[in-house]
Amino acid sequence: MLDFWLFFRVLVFPGFTFILFLTLFCDWVERKIEARMQSRVGPAIAGPAGILQPLADFIKLLTKEEIIPRDAKKNVFRIAPLVAFSVMVFAICFLPIDGSSAISSSGFVGDLIVVMALVTVANFLLFMSGWASANPYGDIGAARVLTQFLGYDIPLFLLALTPAFLAGSLTISIIAANQYLPFIILAPWGFVLFIVALQAELEKDPFDIPHADSEVVGGLETEYCGGKLAFLHLTRDVQIVLGAALVVELFLGGPYGPVFFGLPAFWYSLWFVLKLLVVVMITEYVTCLFARMRIDQVLTANWRVLLPLSVLSLVLTVAMATYVYPMVV
Amino acid sequence: MSKKEIDMLSVLQSKFEGTSVQVRPEQLGKAEVIADASTHRDVLKAMLEADEKTAVIAITGIDLGATIGVFYHIRTSETGIITIKVEVPKEEPQIKTITDLMPGATFDEMEVNDLLGVVFEGNPSLGRLVLPDNWPDGVYPLRKDAKLDNLQFKPTPPSEPEPAGNENIVKVIVGPQHPALLEPEKFVLKVEGEIVKDVEPRIGYVHRGIEKATESRTYLQDVYLVERICGICNACHASCFVETVEKILKTEVPPRAKYIRTVLLELNRLHSHLLTLGHAGLEIGFETLFQYFWRDREPIMDITEIISGNRVISSGMTVGGVRRDINEADIPKIKGRLTDLKKKLPFYKNVYEDEPSIKMRMKNVGTLKREDALKLCIVGPTARGSGVDIDVRKDEPYEAYGEIPFKLITYNEGDTWARMNVRMDEVEESINIIEYALDNLPAGPFRVRVPRVVIAGEAVSRVEAPRGELFYYLKSNGTAYPERVKVRTPTFANIPAFLATAIGSSIADVPPNFVSLDPCFSCTDR
Repeated sequence: MLDFWLFFRVLVFPGFTFILFLTLFCDWVERKIEARMQSRVGPAIAGPAGILQPLADFIKLLTKEEIIPRDAKKNVFRIAPLVAFSVMVFAICFLPIDGSSAISSSGFVGDLIVVMALVTVANFLLFMSGWASANPYGDIGAARVLTQFLGYDIPLFLLALTPAFLAGSLTISIIAANQYLPFIILAPWGFVLFIVALQAELEKDPFDIPHADSEVVGGLETEYCGGKLAFLHLTRDVQIVLGAALVVELFLGGPYGPVFFGLPAFWYSLWFVLKLLVVVMITEYVTCLFARMRIDQVLTANWRVLLPLSVLSLVLTVAMATYVYPMVV
Repeated sequence: MSKKEIDMLSVLQSKFEGTSVQVRPEQLGKAEVIADASTHRDVLKAMLEADEKTAVIAITGIDLGATIGVFYHIRTSETGIITIKVEVPKEEPQIKTITDLMPGATFDEMEVNDLLGVVFEGNPSLGRLVLPDNWPDGVYPLRKDAKLDNLQFKPTPPSEPEPAGNENIVKVIVGPQHPALLEPEKFVLKVEGEIVKDVEPRIGYVHRGIEKATESRTYLQDVYLVERICGICNACHASCFVETVEKILKTEVPPRAKYIRTVLLELNRLHSHLLTLGHAGLEIGFETLFQYFWRDREPIMDITEIISGNRVISSGMTVGGVRRDINEADIPKIKGRLTDLKKKLPFYKNVYEDEPSIKMRMKNVGTLKREDALKLCIVGPTARGSGVDIDVRKDEPYEAYGEIPFKLITYNEGDTWARMNVRMDEVEESINIIEYALDNLPAGPFRVRVPRVVIAGEAVSRVEAPRGELFYYLKSNGTAYPERVKVRTPTFANIPAFLATAIGSSIADVPPNFVSLDPCFSCTDR
């Protein structure tokens, strides 16, 4: 019985299948919000209000011919997108979605660090996929992924420690469970900075430099087509879900919500998805409001502004958690 | 800068009195100067010394039977167009280059070399410009005796192996198909890291031989042909062409027609500027701005439809006037749409002037200094962004522009931001011009009848197209078909600005810098 439930949890809910459909749903929400903000209609044909459009796009790409460039490093070129996708999904499996994560019920000490490390690995795999395609646009796009990553990785990690300090734990499920008052209220500075760093991690405006189509055509995706391109797109969407899910777990109180009765798994997942959508909305809003920065401007901004600010945020959080909050809460 | 009157004609007359150079006022624009292959550089030098705004608009190559004429059309700030006419023998067409005096003439010389086989001694970059690489040697399509049947194209040479050089330099090829370009043209960027080290242009991908094609069509057919040189500035091309014909015929266009033409020309400008302002948003990754501008471009196309029946190509111009009158009942509709657009402009202006991420991407990008803009013969909003106050509408008013008050917009920064803000301000001026023209529309006929056969003669004409100064030279031979039509489009003159400013910039600065010229390659190649 135990084995069956483990398989069910990993493969169906809240594991792979659930994450896949959540990803496609988030993609639709994103496209719809962006379209409405730009006075367009957005996806409207496939399914009610175009909700099936991301799935249709995915299936369409899967049916297309696969072409591998002659000079490409074929094995890396083939495998990197799939592995990057799997690593992203694997990272989400550590997050408590219906009260506990897909893999274990209570997580383990330091799984926050594991998740952040998996994000790093996935980004490196994306870089490899561009690098292997033997195309100048792919090369530049891949180099930009890595360059940008150097800029925001450290601030992102430091900012993820802010809630860890408040909760006194490096376990995500404990951080989520400890938020009687969500950390967005206790440490709003950390939340704002985390969203900024996340925007860079998700490669969204003003930081969508790796796939600036007017400069580097498709960036690292240039030579990809068919199923591999479908998986690269899906990786990007899963990355958005992962990023938003991290914000939910670390700052918005995880899957716990004010209304709660009956079936716990249902309410936990519902609150989790609702909070996730709020975060997706915020990031999409920021995306629509800005032009794309230049890579040197991003690096300067990250190292000169974001990094000192995140250190400051950590110091402030530690001070507040030690001296102020014990008196209030 | 003081507006001192420079009487270029008396300068030239006093300087070249008693030499073989003849100055003939009131011929072909303001004056024509008959020089030869040994004196044309002296004339240009004298003009450059007298007026800093002297620039080569175009070089027309023309087959005159026994000789080939090389006509240098020179713009001067006060006097208008002065043409230096030189003839070279057909067997051995050679002439000294002027690119050392006027670097902006490089492309013009290359084109004459390509299409008529005139060799410009001392021009380092002679080679194929608009013709394909496999075009046979010794066939010059614009010569009257060119045999264009059964062309033996050269086999395409095998691609040369890259010369071993700096390992770190990567060739990034922008075009002929590229998301940053709306039309096919190729620019090879040599990139080290993210820094552009060199740019090699290759234009001519959409060369359709329109200049040659005009020679086999009647004047009336040509109006529709030249209109299709460029989709967006169609009215500019048509009006510039019909003006040259009217100058030869000495036709007086009725005032109502002049006003309607002005409205159509300004609608072109609005359409083009709004399109570019939005497109620039796309190039810097600001999709929302792009979508907003293109939404608000729609009313302009609707107005064009109300006036002409077509949304883009208005086909309004004809020799002797315009083809359709503006219906009095439509005027309130047109003005209502313009008022709506005008209400939105302060918001857009604010975005372009103050939005931080736009400033980050456009300020100090592709800065073109005033001296360089003058030397490279840059025109239009690009030149006005660098503080060069040239605008044909002011300098040499045509149609109704002499009677309509409007401001000449210049910015002194010379960067992408300045060029886009010139356009932003011109949108408002354009709306004002259209409103004034509609309010003061004179009564009377909107066209006069003109003969189909045009007497022999020649004329030049300039129009301020949205992208800058558009120039036409027309020579007629007394038949219903023109002898030679020369078109110099603004982008052709502005590409050197991009080549000069892109080197040394980041690869990310290339698209915003490029789009700030509002490049139109269908125009450029003709």
